[in-house]
This record gives sequence, structure tokens and C-alpha cells, in this order.
Amino acid sequence: MPRKGGLNDSWHKALLAVSMVSGLVTHAYHLFLYPLYTTDEGIYMQQAWSILREAKLSPYTYFYDHAPAGWLMIATYVAVLPMQFQTFGNAINAGRVLMLVAHVCNVFFLFQIAYRLSHSHLAAFVACFFFNFSPLAVFYQREVLLDNLMVFWVLLSVYLLTRDERRIVTAMLSGLSYGLAMITKENAIFFAPVLLSLLYRQVQASRNRRFALSYWSFAAWGPVSIYTLYASLKNELVPSRFNFSLSSPPADHVALLYTVWWQLNRNQGGIFDPHSLFWRFSLGAWLPKDHLILVVGSAAMLIALLIGLRNRERHANLLVASSLAASYSLYLIRGSVMLEFYVIPLLPFLALNIGLMLDHLLGATPAALRVVSTVLLVAVLSVPAGGGYVYTHNDKGQVAPQDLYNVPQTPMQEEEIAYVRQHIPTSARIIMDDDVWVELHDQSPPYRYAHSHWKAAGDPAVRDRLFQKDWQNIDYIVMSNKMRAAMEQNNGDGNEGWMLDAIDNHSTRIWTLKRGDVELDVYKIEHGGS
Amino acid sequence: MGAAAPATSAHGRAGALHPDGGHRAPARSWKVGPGRAVTDLLYVILAVISILLAVQGGYTLYLMIYTWDQPDVHERTKAPDRFVEPSLSFTVMLPARHEEEVIQTTIGRVVGANYPAELLQVLVICSADDTGTISKAEEKVEELRLQHRQGVDVVVFDDRPINKPHALNVALRHAAKDVVTVFDAEDDVHPEIFNIVNTVMAEDPVRVVQSGVQLMNYRDRWYSPLNVLEYFFWFKSTLHFFARYGAIPLGGNTVFFRRNVLQMIGGWDEYNLTEDADIGIRLSSAGVAARVVYDDRYVTREETPPTLGQFVKQRTRWSQGFLQTLLKGDWKHMPSRAQRLLAAYTLTFPIVQAALGLYAVAALIMMFEVKAPVLVALISYLPVFLLASHFMTAAVGLREFAEAHGLKASWGVTLGMALAWFPYQLLLAFAALRAVARLAFGINNWEKTRHVGAHRERRKAGEHAA
Repeated sequence: MPRKGGLNDSWHKALLAVSMVSGLVTHAYHLFLYPLYTTDEGIYMQQAWSILREAKLSPYTYFYDHAPAGWLMIATYVAVLPMQFQTFGNAINAGRVLMLVAHVCNVFFLFQIAYRLSHSHLAAFVACFFFNFSPLAVFYQREVLLDNLMVFWVLLSVYLLTRDERRIVTAMLSGLSYGLAMITKENAIFFAPVLLSLLYRQVQASRNRRFALSYWSFAAWGPVSIYTLYASLKNELVPSRFNFSLSSPPADHVALLYTVWWQLNRNQGGIFDPHSLFWRFSLGAWLPKDHLILVVGSAAMLIALLIGLRNRERHANLLVASSLAASYSLYLIRGSVMLEFYVIPLLPFLALNIGLMLDHLLGATPAALRVVSTVLLVAVLSVPAGGGYVYTHNDKGQVAPQDLYNVPQTPMQEEEIAYVRQHIPTSARIIMDDDVWVELHDQSPPYRYAHSHWKAAGDPAVRDRLFQKDWQNIDYIVMSNKMRAAMEQNNGDGNEGWMLDAIDNHSTRIWTLKRGDVELDVYKIEHGGS
Repeated sequence: MGAAAPATSAHGRAGALHPDGGHRAPARSWKVGPGRAVTDLLYVILAVISILLAVQGGYTLYLMIYTWDQPDVHERTKAPDRFVEPSLSFTVMLPARHEEEVIQTTIGRVVGANYPAELLQVLVICSADDTGTISKAEEKVEELRLQHRQGVDVVVFDDRPINKPHALNVALRHAAKDVVTVFDAEDDVHPEIFNIVNTVMAEDPVRVVQSGVQLMNYRDRWYSPLNVLEYFFWFKSTLHFFARYGAIPLGGNTVFFRRNVLQMIGGWDEYNLTEDADIGIRLSSAGVAARVVYDDRYVTREETPPTLGQFVKQRTRWSQGFLQTLLKGDWKHMPSRAQRLLAAYTLTFPIVQAALGLYAVAALIMMFEVKAPVLVALISYLPVFLLASHFMTAAVGLREFAEAHGLKASWGVTLGMALAWFPYQLLLAFAALRAVARLAFGINNWEKTRHVGAHRERRKAGEHAA
């Protein structure tokens, strides 16, 4: 740590403050306008809504798709807001402000971790620059996603582990933080071996090593044990008759262990499959947003890993940083089900590796040169000719700010909600995407019969009992072109078919709005014409 | 609009995944009897008790690991590596009652300490009716005289009460040295203990020093390892916390007082069953700081009680003594609120322990008989988690203890500890309840713990093997 009160300390604080403020600005500016509100954001806000309004983990059947700590955290935060879900205009905006707060905290953790691992301000500052400015990072880090909250807990855990003091309480808090990460988003488990080895490395020479290791492990197990106990108390830990068959799932109740088993067996192709989701997202969604953090970060990770493995003692810190990134990369490339935003937990660690490797390469370069190099790097990355992190070429070939800071997308969704409120009665039975769910349920008067198309397709309580899988029981469909695509993709078992039938054969489009590649529509289902 | 809206919405249907399934058989509930309001109240009480127990469990855990958690505590409290020239003189008090089997060895170990004989005064204190111990002690004194060793005497008293604090007060009148210390008749005193305290008191103007005591025979009986570990955590960790905040119930032996401090405070309370804890609280109230010195190498070795009955009697005495001290109220005169709170909590602990025992039994019944709401059940899990953490701490502590004393902590012992864990907690709770009952009925007699020298036999066996 920097010397207290000295010049070094002031420099440290100044750079930390600059990093946190720049993270605040890049993530806060245009936060409510870009990107579009997504289905997943809507789902987590909807589940937080259910906790506050219904004392339940979900308004629908909770089937252990994710552990609930993330939306419990969101619900706790919303509960203390003066106007709860409407404090910032709408529910997802409220969630995005929490993501902003989490990001600023994450910048603090990342800066401190990078500095502790390298004793270099350059490394810490550069790592935070990529973390704050990478368009790929800003895009997903603004969204209300469990991954962003999981990153908060993982970084807090690493931050505590890298503290110089060797207190058991610190190790325990680190373990607890990691346990919360696991019940926020389960894929945090891929960090476990690295965190444990980091802990071991930190305490191996301490007289309290036995206590530190056991308290870390026990504290990490604590939140997980509460989650499993919850399932057990609900009689939902194991499937009935211990039926783990993937072809004929147990029908009488959901089960945590069955869902875990099902998730483990889902496979959509790994790195060796050119048609896998890994390549689809890498090439289609991630690289176009920012190839630099991915390519340079991966290269930095691999080089740091090689250097660290060749000399574990001398370059232990490079080994730690690269292992953190590598462990999660393994998760991404191994070939399970993946969504676009699954890249989020990788980004801080890629940024960390870039910072550390740059510092390593510059070695004993004079301080002035290091400062000049850093300023140049930041400048080059910010302009179109370099990284285009702030300014880039738009569709017309003109220099303009990144879409992140320039394009208003979410007003389209606000117009859609306004249309629904003005023209559709609250007694209507609506199928919609989840991003408008809380707006229709939390505002007065509520649309009690407005349901997610996912649940109308997958949850028997909605599909069979409420809609009886019959298009005639739908009055309106409020959708986007992305929802349409999702419905078609999700229709492998035919459960979306009755809704697609309603749209294609029994409806009239009563409202539409199209900007760029986004189209929003409202369909009225014509019962009389059937 | 088309068809009529569904009669109900999906919301509020927990577990309604399948219309015909998911409805479990109704759980047994208290609702049948006292009614919903009473049931809810009971759940609230259960949740509150669980939270309180969890907080208490967390605090107890922290006391157990305090010295490991604070990196500087170990350095500050370990024995000095180099000793200064002996300058302080010591009066060693050895109160003994029916200790024929061990008293001669103990006297031998004290006088054999690595400290100038002229700076040591040894007083063996017996009541007149204990002719067996008196005879053995005088025999040893005579033997020492023949070896030209002076300064060892047997002090006999024939007044009441016949108990340890009275014996100590009698001996205090004969004490002639700078520092007064107490050892029990079965103690294995380390030869360097006087050098350590001489050095500590020379370098730090502290007037009371508590050094470590450790039970050693951790494999003798089912409760031995847990009993040994209680001492281990108490002397190695918890006492340091108490000393730091200036509210310390002292131990019964290997404790060193400047003689004038004892005289100022009026000696020991002869009607208190834990005169050691009581004098610690009184000294803390008088603003006399105590320093705790703990070093695995120099602990005074003792043995666990030889039978379950003896163990329960010992625990009852301790619990009752703490409650007596609580009721006396000397702790209320401590200077700061933090000290008073700490002392009150420590002295109240027997009641907490009794409550824990009752809760454990109630929890067992509830596990099978009560289907509490999920949230209440989750909250009531917290003390269970803390209890598991407590066991884990003990399991790690066993390894620390074994390493510190060159012993082997096998997995078999850990497994035995796991099996003994719950019965041991119940035993402690029983002793605490017994103490409360004795106090309520005004029974204050001293139930003495018998000593057989098991820790010495083991050490001898080890030495022979070596």
C-alpha cells in the first residue's frame, strides 16, 4: 500500500479518484437512454418487485434458474429509495442506478487490486481505463444483470484477499463475499480455485493459516448452505423419486438439484465448434463493440500466464491476475449455454491483465516516460483512429461520439408503454416481453393479466391454467422484433406456437415504431374473426 | 375484448407449477391449538431468539480466535525470549486438600524452578482435618530441609470456611515476598515461569500477570479433547481480549500479584466459588490492569477432571461462582461502559449457557414437530451455522494445540470430538442449570475437583518413550 500521508499517497488517491470519477461519468452519462431495456433486466426487476410486493422470489414459479441473492440485493436497494421503482422514472432505470453504484465500487476494488499486485500506479490506472471506457464493458455494465452484481462480490473478495494484513476476519469476509457471489450468479464458482490458491499464498507463512483457510471456506459455504436449505425447506432440493432424467423431467415440482443437473448438461458447442454461441457472440456481439479489450486482454492474459508459470515465485502476481481471467475464460469456451452478457465477469480481469502486462513491459522505464506512455495510450484509445472508445466513425463515416453517449434508444420503449396505458384496458390479457413487466404491474392501475411470453410458453401455471395454450385467450401482444426472434428460437418444443399463431393469423397491428434495427409493435388479437 | 378475463392471476400461487401437483400434505402446525396470533407470536420469538443466539455465537467465536486474528497480540503477549537478572522475590501459595497423591511432586517442581532459592517462599496450605495431605507435605518439607533447602513451609488452619480462598487469605498473612502467586496442587509448573514473570514485571510496571494454564490429557475420556480446547482458547485467546478491555476474570492459578495489590484489595472473597474470577473483576473495577502472558512453551499443565461427575461439579462451581460475582455487583464500578458490558456478559454467560441447553432440546423437538414458515426456519438456521463454525474452530484448534505441544491430532480424535460435541454442550448446559438451581436454593458449598495426576503419567510415559 502507498505510504500514508506522503506524495505517493496523494498521487495514489488522485489517480484512484480520477478512475472512479471517469467510471462514474462513462457509465452514468446516457445511462437511461442506452442501451435498450432488455428482457433480462426486466426479469430481475420483476423478481425484485415480487419480493417487495408479494414476499416471493418470483411472480411466477421460481424454478431455481438462478440463485436469488442478486434480486434480493436489488429489492433491498429499491426498498430504501424514496419512490421505490419509480424513483428514476421506471423500474429498470432504478436498477441501472444500482449497477452504476456497483461499477464505481468495482473500479475502486480493481484499482486497489491492480496496485497491490503490481505496486504500480500505471498498471492500476490503465486497468481501470479499459474497465471504464471499453464500449463492450460500458454496454453490458450499464444493464441490470446478475453478472454485474456477481463481479462486485468477486472483486470485493479478491480485494480483501490481497490486503497486507493477515487477519482471520478479513479472510472470513472475503469468503462471505465470495459465497454471496456464488448465490448471485452461479458461474462465480469458476473463480474458486484461483481465490483459494491466492488465499493459500497469502497466509501460508502466517501462524493463523489454518484458521484463515477454514474461515474463508466456511464463510463461502454459508450463503450457499442457506440457499440449499431454502430449497430443502420448500421440499424442492431433489426431484421427486430422485428423477434426474433429462428426457422426461419430473412433473410434480421444481427442484434445485435437477435444475443444476439440467444446466450442467446443456451444451451449445464450445470453442471447437464454429457454430457455437461462443463464436457467435465473440464475432457477432463482442468484437464489434470492442475488439481491443478482448484481443489485447487475451494476449496479455496468455503472456502473463506463461511468465507466471515459468517463475511462480518472482511473478506470482502475474500468475494470479492471469489465472483469474483464464479460469473464467475456460467457463466461456467450454461449451455450455451462453448469453451475450456472459462476457461481463471476464472484462475486469482482462483489463487487469492489460494493466499489469503493460507495467511489466515498461519495466524500469523512467517515471516521466511511463506517464507520457499512459497519457498517449488514453488519447489514442479515445479517438476513432485508435480505439474509438469515446469518439468513433458513425454509419455515415462522420466522427461522432460512441452510440453509448449519443443514441437514445429507450424512449422508444417509453412510447410503447405510454401507448399501452392510453389505449389498452387494464383488464386485457396481454402477452409481452419482460422489459415492460414492472411498468405494467407496479403503476396504478396495474395490468394484472399482462404476462411474459417466456412464462406463457414455459410455465404450466401460466400457459395451461391461465391461457390454456389457446390464442383466443390473448387480447393483445406487445412485442419487439427481438422478442419475435426469441419466440421463434424458443419454439423448439412448440410451446410458443399458439402465440405465434395469434400474431400471424389472428391479429391486427395497431401500433408500430421503428428506429434503426429496432422495431416495436402492439398487436390486437381479433377474436371475432376466428 | 374477447373472452372473459381469467378468474385469478398467476400471482400469489406459490408452487402452482402444476395444477394437480405441488400441494404437499399439510404440515403439523400449532395453529390447531393456540390460534394464529399466538402462533405468529411464537414464530417471532423463535426468530428473535435465533438472531440473539447467532450474535452471541459470533461473539464467542471471535473471542476464540481473537489472538489469531490480531497479528500483534501474539507478539505482544508471548513470553520474553531473554530473561533479565532475577530481582523480584515470589511467595508461592499451594492450597491443597486431599491431594496426597500429587502434592509432593508439585512441591518438588516449584522448588526445582530455575530461580534463586532465596527469592522463593513456598507455602503449602492445608486445613487441620486433612492430615493425609499435611503428612505428605511435611514429609517433603523435611526432605528438602535435609537438602538444605529453606523457605518451604506448611501452613495449617483450623477455622472455617474450609475452601481455597480462605486458605489463600490465611497464607497471605505469612507471605513475605514481593510477588504472590498461586498454583494448584496438581499443577506442573514450568521451571522458567518465575524468570518470565520477573522479566515481564521488570519491563512493564504491571501489577498483575496471568500466565497460561493448559489441560493436557486430551485423549483420556470422551469429553477430554473438548475440555482441553476450552482451556486452550480461553488462555491463549479470550483472556487477551478481556485484558485489552480491562475487564478480566482471572484464572485460579499461575496468576501473579504484587503483594501490596492483594493487601489493598483485601485478599480473596471466601464465600465466592470462583474467587479467582471475582478478584479479577474487583481489580479491574479498582483500575488495576492485568497483563496476560501466554506462551505454549511455558504453560502450567493440568489435567481434565477424572470422571463425568467431577467434571459436572467443577463446571457447576464455576458457573455458580460467576453468577455470585455478577450478583455482588463489583463490576458495576468499572470505569467505562464497555468494561461493564463486557464483565456483565462474561458473568452472565452461565445463564446464556443454560438457555442454550434448553434451546437445543427445544430445537430438537421443533425439528420434528413444528413446520415453521420458510423465513423463520432460515433465521433459526443461523445459530446452527454458528454452532458448526464453533466446531470447525475447535477442530482447527485441536491441530494448533497438538502442534504447539508436539502431540499428534489424529482424525480419530476429531471424529470423536464431532460425536461428543452435542452431548458436551448439553453437559455444560446441565452444569449451568445446576448452578442456577444451587444459587436459587442457597447451596454454596465447595464441590472440590479430584486430581489423579493423569497429565503427569502421560508426560512420564512420553519421557520414558523418548
